Amino acid sequence: MNRYHVFIMFLSVLALSGCISHPQTAEEFRKAVPAAFSAKVETFEVDRPFRQVARTFQKMGPNCLAKTIKTTSQTNMSYQVIVTTYKPTVVVTGKKAELHVQQHHEQGVLNVSKEPDGGYYILVADAQPVTQTKTRIDLYRPSMSNGVLIQAVKNWATGENIGCPDLTK
Amino acid sequence: MTPLALNRATGNPLDIGRIAFIVLLFCTASLLAGCFGSKTYPNTLDKNLHVHTVTDSGSWFSRVRAAVDIHRVGEDCALVYEGTVQLADPKTDIGIPPHRWSYLVFVFGSSSFFANRSGTITYETLLKARPNYHFEVAVRYRNDMYHVGIRENLPNQSTGREIEPLELSACQSVTGRK
Repeated sequence: MNRYHVFIMFLSVLALSGCISHPQTAEEFRKAVPAAFSAKVETFEVDRPFRQVARTFQKMGPNCLAKTIKTTSQTNMSYQVIVTTYKPTVVVTGKKAELHVQQHHEQGVLNVSKEPDGGYYILVADAQPVTQTKTRIDLYRPSMSNGVLIQAVKNWATGENIGCPDLTK
Repeated sequence: MTPLALNRATGNPLDIGRIAFIVLLFCTASLLAGCFGSKTYPNTLDKNLHVHTVTDSGSWFSRVRAAVDIHRVGEDCALVYEGTVQLADPKTDIGIPPHRWSYLVFVFGSSSFFANRSGTITYETLLKARPNYHFEVAVRYRNDMYHVGIRENLPNQSTGREIEPLELSACQSVTGRK
């Protein structure tokens, strides 16, 4: 057993004992991200009316992110299959559009803390109007993973190169 | 007596190994042919689906393949798999039956050589072809982003309308089936 294993065991024990907990709502996720080690808040403005951004979230969110993905990875000594289901939620009001993305591992990953309904929150994007033609985006997102998902959501906000992220990456 | 006959007669381990190898080869071929469930779509109908494909994995060390699985939507909205068309060429013409609903599953399969990692992601939609109408389908995978756009064109015209994806769960309401 090396130091890495000890560290993982320590984290697992902490989690099992309730010392580590994951945000159970989008609001809890927003509050947790600024202090989190592997997540960050990114804020930017796009030259696009709020209504257009909201419409893109409403269209692309469900079309691109309501998916179940299977990935396999293999080495000489191991064979791993991970099945992950993503759940997008889009909430639009007159002054705000929210995109929440949750992730639930169906197979291949062991969860050690309480998981919210629909899966762990991995990204929240808030869009709010600044002027008639500008929209502010607050992106609560991982800092070291899910790069393709983050780029796709940014593209949906800017309206450039709109497509669906390959969630297997 | 030939050496092979001698082997048969004596049950030589070399011969048993050979038989085992052939059986294994046969099983593997059977698996690849049948159990993986992939068969080539017959594609014998008039071509009404014109698929324009662009794929670029963005790396020399990974590969992306595109294909479309074609299902017939049967009674009770049950799907009957009819076959797969590999979208290996920039343009592929496919014939889907008019007058009835089909379910198309565009599959992007990516694999990385060094990481020994692979995965597939799909874009799915119900689609009903109307007689004499044509569909122009743009299938694109670039920089880890994919896009499938379907446009229905009027007969003998290049203009048409965008077709939004229709989930299988909407089958009963759009087809009137129960």
